[in-house]
Amino acid sequence: MAIKKGLFKTSVGRKNLMAVTGLFIVFFLIIHLIGNLILIIPDSFFPIEFWNNVANQHDMYNAYSHFLVHFWPITIVAWVLYAAIALHIIDALLITLNNWKAKGEKYAVIDNSTSTWISRNMGLIGTIIGIFIVMHMVQFWLQYKVLKIEHDLYNLVLETFKIWWMVVIYEIGIIALGFHIVHGIESAHRSLGIYPKKIMHIIKYIALYFGLVMALLYAIIPIILYFK
Amino acid sequence: MKLTLKIWRQDNAKTKGKLVSYDLSDLSSDMSFLEMLDVLNEQLAVKGERVVEFDHDCREGICGQCSLVINGQAHGPEGHYTTCQTHLRSFKDGETLYVEPFRANAFPVIRDLKVDRTSMDRIIQSGGYISSFTGMAPEANSTPIHHDIAESAFDSAACIGCGACVATCKNSSAALFVSAKVGHLAKLPQGQVERMERVIAMVTTHDDEGFGSCTHTGACAMVCPQEVQLLDIARMNFEYNRAVCLVKD
Ligand code: HEM
Ligand code: SF4
Ligand code: FES
Repeated sequence: MAIKKGLFKTSVGRKNLMAVTGLFIVFFLIIHLIGNLILIIPDSFFPIEFWNNVANQHDMYNAYSHFLVHFWPITIVAWVLYAAIALHIIDALLITLNNWKAKGEKYAVIDNSTSTWISRNMGLIGTIIGIFIVMHMVQFWLQYKVLKIEHDLYNLVLETFKIWWMVVIYEIGIIALGFHIVHGIESAHRSLGIYPKKIMHIIKYIALYFGLVMALLYAIIPIILYFK
Repeated sequence: MKLTLKIWRQDNAKTKGKLVSYDLSDLSSDMSFLEMLDVLNEQLAVKGERVVEFDHDCREGICGQCSLVINGQAHGPEGHYTTCQTHLRSFKDGETLYVEPFRANAFPVIRDLKVDRTSMDRIIQSGGYISSFTGMAPEANSTPIHHDIAESAFDSAACIGCGACVATCKNSSAALFVSAKVGHLAKLPQGQVERMERVIAMVTTHDDEGFGSCTHTGACAMVCPQEVQLLDIARMNFEYNRAVCLVKD
């Protein structure tokens, strides 16, 4: 057992945990996006007859969020997600602190031409995302699911994105997310030991375009709602 | 040509160091960077000052002993070159060059530009070998190895242990160095017996020596004089994970 622990310890093992939790959060983000795209379905699409005759966007979004809260398998996945986020952050802290400790005296001249800005600033980008996640959860999750103050989630979302600076904050969080995904997906596969050249080449492209598409789709939601 | 050098001077690991400025003129652009330091040292010696200490040995790019970070770039601006193979023609006449030692906690400064890289030796000692006797060249030739695998193993074996990967890494990780050594032996039949113990031992020693964790910025592979690939690190991670799952305690 002593060695099996190495799966999540050591400089290599800790990156396994980073990768697994990160990729799980990415998986959640896909589902989360699909759900929230309901918010930008044009009104002309309603009523949707083949699906329980949903009358309008308002009902559809609230039915969807009601389903999320009351369907128990989703509750389990949600707890796995909270754990993944917590582990990802703790592991990020451990890795970053250890890497700071490993650094010698600062160089007088630093040349950054050999790596990308994103790859060097995953901790900073992650921290922006972390602050964003806390704010985001207080705004919606806490009000709707925990305190149960707000029952009409659709209205809450709509009101939130009528405030222009809220839209700005969300866009910043989403851009940070896109950056994090682009390097994160590539890095995660490397951490887990995917080494054939051809596969890694494909993964690099997937990471880039996936990150771009995710960020774009997330980004248009607050903007469309603001002008609605 | 003329150059202004800002060179890191430090008496030993315990004292603080600082950059000291030196002006050199009448340099030939065909000089290697180390020959230029020799010229500087001759001048310092004549003046009775302590010469600038720096590491070097073969001066032909094969031993891995020379180091230096020049204007923030490990081994200078050429990329995939050692400092001894970097010539003054890579710089502009009149340029100011910052010359600093390889920096990492695992590489304490001995004096000036000389650093202690024995931490890398201890990583090798912990697993970068095979314990079986493989004989002489005729026996080696009788071991069937596919040409591509032999080439790939040789590409990894080419690592000269210079430490430029560590010096350039924002995490001071020696992942590229360890991956070269792990990959070299994991690819060959002679390395199979200790394949699993080796990677676990070398990664563990890497951590104990105080090197950081790789976050795949890729800067190491851009400066490595032997062009060890970033994919070698992924391969090491594969070897490590395979070993951790399969090895019997
Ligand atoms: C909550 C705040 C977050 C912090 C503080 C954070 C921090 C970090 C750090 C420091 C790394 C290591 C850098 C690297 O490997 O290149 C990393 C990697 C990663 N992050 Fe995050 N992150 C956060 C949120 C997220 C989110 C929301 C996602 C989902 C998109 C995510 C996905 C990933 C992935 C896939 C990796 C790569 C893992 C690997 O290299 O093995 N992270 N994160
Ligand atoms: S991997 Fe390259 S940069 Fe690192 S020690 Fe070996 S030869 Fe030097
Ligand atoms: S002195 Fe031997 S590689 Fe530069």
